[in-house]
Amino acid sequence: MGGAIAGVGIMNPNRAMNPYRALDRAAMVLGLVSIISAAFLFVHGTFQLVQIGAVGLVVAIVLGLLAIAAGLLAERTLMIAGGVAFLLAGAAQLALLAGGTSGFLGGNASTFSLWLGLGAGLIAIGSVPRPEMAQEMPATD
Amino acid sequence: MPETDYAASTDDNADIESGSRIVPLPPSRLNRALLAVVRIGVGLLWLQNVGWKTPPDFGRGDPPGGLYLSAGYAVSHQVLPPFAWVMDHFVLPNFTFFGWMVLLVEAALGAFLVIGLATRFWALVGIAQTVAIALSVLNAPHEWYWSYLLMLLAHLALFATAAGRYAGLDGVLRPSWELSRSWAARLLVWAS
Repeated sequence: MGGAIAGVGIMNPNRAMNPYRALDRAAMVLGLVSIISAAFLFVHGTFQLVQIGAVGLVVAIVLGLLAIAAGLLAERTLMIAGGVAFLLAGAAQLALLAGGTSGFLGGNASTFSLWLGLGAGLIAIGSVPRPEMAQEMPATD
Repeated sequence: MPETDYAASTDDNADIESGSRIVPLPPSRLNRALLAVVRIGVGLLWLQNVGWKTPPDFGRGDPPGGLYLSAGYAVSHQVLPPFAWVMDHFVLPNFTFFGWMVLLVEAALGAFLVIGLATRFWALVGIAQTVAIALSVLNAPHEWYWSYLLMLLAHLALFATAAGRYAGLDGVLRPSWELSRSWAARLLVWAS
């Protein structure tokens, strides 16, 4: 399938140089969204879309940076690792909510929803197989 | 003008006059951005509002609150008697289970609509959930029924425009899904 995607990239002039660049950018955007969500630590009331606690802020920033790094390095394994970490954080938040409190993560079901989306998104992006670039790219000289 | 061109032009005019030919909107950057804004906005609606679904009791208590109170309106302020009967006999007595179902479905709606993954499928889920909410609270005090109609219409628009293909993961991942032979990829092509 990886080779087939390379074919799509070649047909599309915008993606001809590297057909996987859009995937890497998407991973970076998800990381950026996570970092931006940390700002909700300081937002309260009507426009608090997500409830973030102090530990949740660390999760959002660290995993956000991981997703950005994965996109910059075009590292599928790192994307999947980041996605799994988001899902684990979301599951932990949900388990804490089941106990009746926000727990040490300090979030709510919205936090779970956000981390579910970021985790699923990173795993979906990281799951697209890529060929070794050395095999795919023709010699230029 | 060559005859063939004239014939084609006549056909085009006939199509347009009969209303059978719809000229699609140009896929401009602005149009794509607006569709993305609608999708992310609807996703944020679910994402924020799942926040007040609080386990483990979901508001069941004395006095009732939260999700349990809202669900109870389906019985105390009936919209559709058969729906009220189902709520009264099945949902409210087993509310912990249904509360968790609501939380998981709405959390997934927020998650997947915001990132634009399997957007058409989640738009359908959103329509179903909106109908369930509307049948519960449409006649409740201080409710504006157009809120729920607008929710419904927004999800219809997301489905009709496949809004996840614009600045969403559907747009980035569809090429690989379309070229894959796996059943999961085929399912995702349909869902996006």
